[in-house]
Amino acid sequence: MKVTLNTFRLIGLVAILSWAGAPASFAFAPAQDGDKDEKKKDADADAEAEEEEGPEWFAVSGGDVYTGTGSILRGATVLSKDGVITDIGYDLFVPEDAEVLDATGYRVYPGLIAISSFGLFGGSADLKNTVDPFSNNMTLALAAGITTAVNGSEVAKLKRRAIDDLVMNTSVFTSLSFAKSNPAGKRSLREKLAKAAEYLRKYRQYETDKKSDKTLKEPSKKGIDSTALAVLRHEKRPTFSANDRTDLLEIAHLAQQYGFRPIIRGCREGWTVAGELGRAGASAVITPRDRRPKDERFARDGGSSIENAAILHAAGVQVAVIPGSAGISLGGIVGRDLMHLTIEAGFAVRGGLSEEAAMQAITTVPARILGVDHRVGTLEVGKDADLIVTDGELLHYETFVQWAVVHGDLVYDKEEELYFAHIRPRPEAALAPETKLDAGETEEAPEEVEEGGDEGEGEGSDDGDDGDDGDDGDGGTEEEGSGGGDGEG
Amino acid sequence: MKPRPRSPRFRHTGTRASLAALILCVPIAPVAAQDGGAPAAGAPGGPGLAVVARKLLTAEFEGRTTVDNGVLLVRDGKIEAVGARGELTVPDGYEVLDLGGLWVAPGMIDLHCHVAGALSDLNDVVYLTNPGLRATPTITPGNPLMKTAVAGGVTSVLLIPGSGSNMGGHGILLRSGFGTFEENLLRDPGSLKLAQAGNPERRAPWFPGRAFMNYNTRGTFVRGLAYAAGFTAAEKNGTTAPAIDPQYEIFRHLADKRTQVSTHTQMYQVVMTTITMVRQELGLDVYIDHGTFDGYLAGELAEEADVPAILGPRQVYFRSTRTDGKIQGVAAGYEERGLRKIGFNTDSIGRRGIGQEELSLQAAMGVRYGYDNSDMGGVRGVTSVPALASGLAGRVGALTVGLEADLIVITGDPIDPRTSVEMVFQVGQKVYDAREGRRW
Repeated sequence: MKVTLNTFRLIGLVAILSWAGAPASFAFAPAQDGDKDEKKKDADADAEAEEEEGPEWFAVSGGDVYTGTGSILRGATVLSKDGVITDIGYDLFVPEDAEVLDATGYRVYPGLIAISSFGLFGGSADLKNTVDPFSNNMTLALAAGITTAVNGSEVAKLKRRAIDDLVMNTSVFTSLSFAKSNPAGKRSLREKLAKAAEYLRKYRQYETDKKSDKTLKEPSKKGIDSTALAVLRHEKRPTFSANDRTDLLEIAHLAQQYGFRPIIRGCREGWTVAGELGRAGASAVITPRDRRPKDERFARDGGSSIENAAILHAAGVQVAVIPGSAGISLGGIVGRDLMHLTIEAGFAVRGGLSEEAAMQAITTVPARILGVDHRVGTLEVGKDADLIVTDGELLHYETFVQWAVVHGDLVYDKEEELYFAHIRPRPEAALAPETKLDAGETEEAPEEVEEGGDEGEGEGSDDGDDGDDGDDGDGGTEEEGSGGGDGEG
Repeated sequence: MKPRPRSPRFRHTGTRASLAALILCVPIAPVAAQDGGAPAAGAPGGPGLAVVARKLLTAEFEGRTTVDNGVLLVRDGKIEAVGARGELTVPDGYEVLDLGGLWVAPGMIDLHCHVAGALSDLNDVVYLTNPGLRATPTITPGNPLMKTAVAGGVTSVLLIPGSGSNMGGHGILLRSGFGTFEENLLRDPGSLKLAQAGNPERRAPWFPGRAFMNYNTRGTFVRGLAYAAGFTAAEKNGTTAPAIDPQYEIFRHLADKRTQVSTHTQMYQVVMTTITMVRQELGLDVYIDHGTFDGYLAGELAEEADVPAILGPRQVYFRSTRTDGKIQGVAAGYEERGLRKIGFNTDSIGRRGIGQEELSLQAAMGVRYGYDNSDMGGVRGVTSVPALASGLAGRVGALTVGLEADLIVITGDPIDPRTSVEMVFQVGQKVYDAREGRRW
C-alpha cells in the first residue's frame, strides 16, 4: 500500500479554476487597475498570499465508499476542498496539490457520532475552557471512528491538534421531566404546556384581529414558560430520560397532544409501547445491550429486550445508539464504552435491526437529533469531509479504523499511533499522506502519544503496582478502581 | 493496490427473519418433551434426532473445527455422529431438524460464574483460607440471570465462591438450561476456588501482603494434601480411614485429579506464583481463571507447566510505561508467549455487572485485541478450552461423538455480537427457542 500522492492526471490551471469555482479563481484574478501601482502591488501580494495558502484539497481514493445514504460506491474517490466534500465518484479531477489517501481495499464510512460523551475532548463539559486536542481520549475516540461528539451541551468535532471551530451546535438538549415518580413535575409540565398553548392561541387570534383593530395589545407573556413555548413553536425538541413503559406512554401521548417530537433517552421498555412512540414521532437514544429483567411481580411485558432497537425502528422511531458508558475506559473491561460504539450497535443487529439501520443509529440519526445533519452523518457533496477508513465491516468486532479524517484533515492513522499499530498491522505499511506537519513533527509524534499515555494512566485510579492490586477486584462495574466491592470472585 | 489479505472471517449468513423462516421441523414441530410426555427426539430415552445445518462448528481443540453443510445425529442426549450431509446417512426413525442457513456450535462454558446462585451467600470469609465452604447450597437453578445466559448460548458454568478470602471454597460445575439442581449438576466439587492476591487482603482485618497470604495458602494446601494422603494410605494398607474433616475433604478430590484449582490470578507475579506453587510444587491441576492485567508475561511458564489461562473480564492491559504505550490484548499476550490453552470467562456478578450472556463478547474482544481467530480460536476459547481446563472435555465443549449434546443454534459466528442464538439444546433436549420469546 503506497501513497499515490499526485498520481492523478495533471490538469491545467484553467480547468481547476473553472471547475472549482469562484473562490479559487479570485486568487488568480489579474489586477485590472494598472494605473494605481499601490493597488496593483496589494493585489499581487494578495494573490501571492492566496497562492501560498490556496484551497486545501484532500482525496480519499479507491475505497469502497459507504455513503450512509443507501449507496455503496466501490473503489470510488471522495474529494474535499477546505474540509467540505466537493465530489464523490469515479475518474474525478484531483488537483495535483491535493493530499491523497489511497484507501484501495478498505472501506470508507462517514465519521461516527457519539450522542453523549464525557472526556473525549480531554477536559470537562466546559469545552471552550478545558479542551485538550492532544489528549489520549481524543485519539482513542478517533480510533473508535468517532469524529463528532456531544460534550456538555455542545456538539463538537474531534479536531485533533486544533482548538478552533470545534463547536457545531450548542444547547442541543432541552431536558424535561415527565415521570410518575415525580408527580409534581408532571403536573407542572402539563400546566406549562397548557398555558403556553393557550398563549399561542391568543397570539394567533391577536395576529388576525390586529389587522382590523390596530389598538389591540399583544397578549402578555407573563407566566408563560419560555421552554414550553419553544417546544410548542418547534424551536426545540425536548429530551426526556425515561425507561418505564407507563412514563413512555405518557410522554408519547403528551407529545401527540401538543404536537412536539420527543427525544427519549433510555427507553428501555420502549418495545412494549413502540407504536405509540412511533406515532409521536419520537427519537430514542438507547443502549441495545441494556439488561434489566422485568419486574416479576407483574405478568405483563417489561424490562429490557435485546429487540428494543429493532422493534422501535420498525414502529417508525428514530433510533440512536450509545454504549452503557459514554467515556473512554482503559481499565481493561472492554466492549462497553465509546471505544466500542460499533460493538454496541452490533447488539442492536443481534436483536433484529438491519445493519444499515444500526449504522444510521451511530451516524445520521444522532446527526438529526443534534441538528447537525446538514454537515455530518453521511458522505455527500456539500457536507463536511469527516470520514473513517476501516479494514472491514463497520460493525465487525475485528474491524479497526485505519485512518480518520475530520474536516479534510488526516487526524488519525493507526500505524502512526502506539495504541493499536501492533494489532494486525497493515500488510505493506501504507504510508500516511504527507501531512501538513513537517518531518520533524512527524517523528515526534510517538513522544506526544507517550505523554498522552501517562496522562491516561493518571486518569485511571490505579497507578503502579499497589493500585493494580486494589483494582484486581473483579468489579462488575466498568470504571477502574471502583473495585466492585469484595463480593465477587 | 490489492485488498489487504485478511485472515478468514466468519460472516453473517443473512438476516434472521429469512433464516428463521428456513427452520423446518420434520416431521413434527415440538422437539422437547414437556409435561411428562414421551421423551422428545434426541432426549434420553427418545428417538434419534438429526440436526441439519449450513455449518457445524465442531470446535475441537485438536482436530476439525468446522463441517460445512453438516448433519449431527443425537441420541439419548449424546452426540452420535457428526459429518457432512453427503457422507452421513440419517438412520430410519430419526426426526430431522433442518435448520436451513443456521449454524450449530457447542454450548459455551463459563468458568467464572457467580450468578447461578444468590451472590450474597457466595463470599463467607471465615479465615483467610476456607477450603471447606461450598457453593452448592446457594444455587438457584433457572434464575432470570441464568435464563438470559442460556439465551446467550452459555450451557455450562462453574459457580464459584467470591474472592473475599484466599480460598473461597468449592466451586460447582453446573448445566444452565434446566430447572432443578439434579438436572443441572455436572460435577461437585467443580473446583477449589483460590484467589491468591488482589481481593482477599481487602476483607482481612489487617492488610496482609502477598508473602504472608501465599505462606498461609501453601500451609492449607500442604495440610489438605497430607489429609488426602492419609486416606490413600489407609486404603492401600487396609487400615482404618482417618476421621473426616469437612474443611479438607476437597483435597481428596484434588489429589485424585477429580477436580482442579480454579485460581483468581491476574498480575504477573501472582500468576507466576499460581504456576510455580500450585502446579509445579504441589502437582495439582490448576488453571488461571479471571486472568487479566499483565499476567500474560508468565505465558511461557504457563505453557511449560500446562496451565490453561481463562481470561476476562478485562481483555486489554494498558500502561504507557509497561506496555510501551500499546493497548495490549491479554489473550494475545499469552498467545505470543506460546500458551495454547486460552479461554474466556465473564465473572458475571449480577444485574449491574457483566452478564453471563456476554461470554461470547469476551472472546470477541480477545480476538479484537489480537488473539488469532483464523482457526476459530475465539470459539474454542469458550468451548473446548474451558472444557479441557475444567476436566469436562470428555463430556462437553465440542461437537464430538460421545459428548453430551449441548448445542446452540446460531445465525453466524457465535462470538460476533450481531449473531443471535435461536435455539439451545442441552443433553439433547431443547431448553430455549427464541421463536417462543427471545431472551437475548
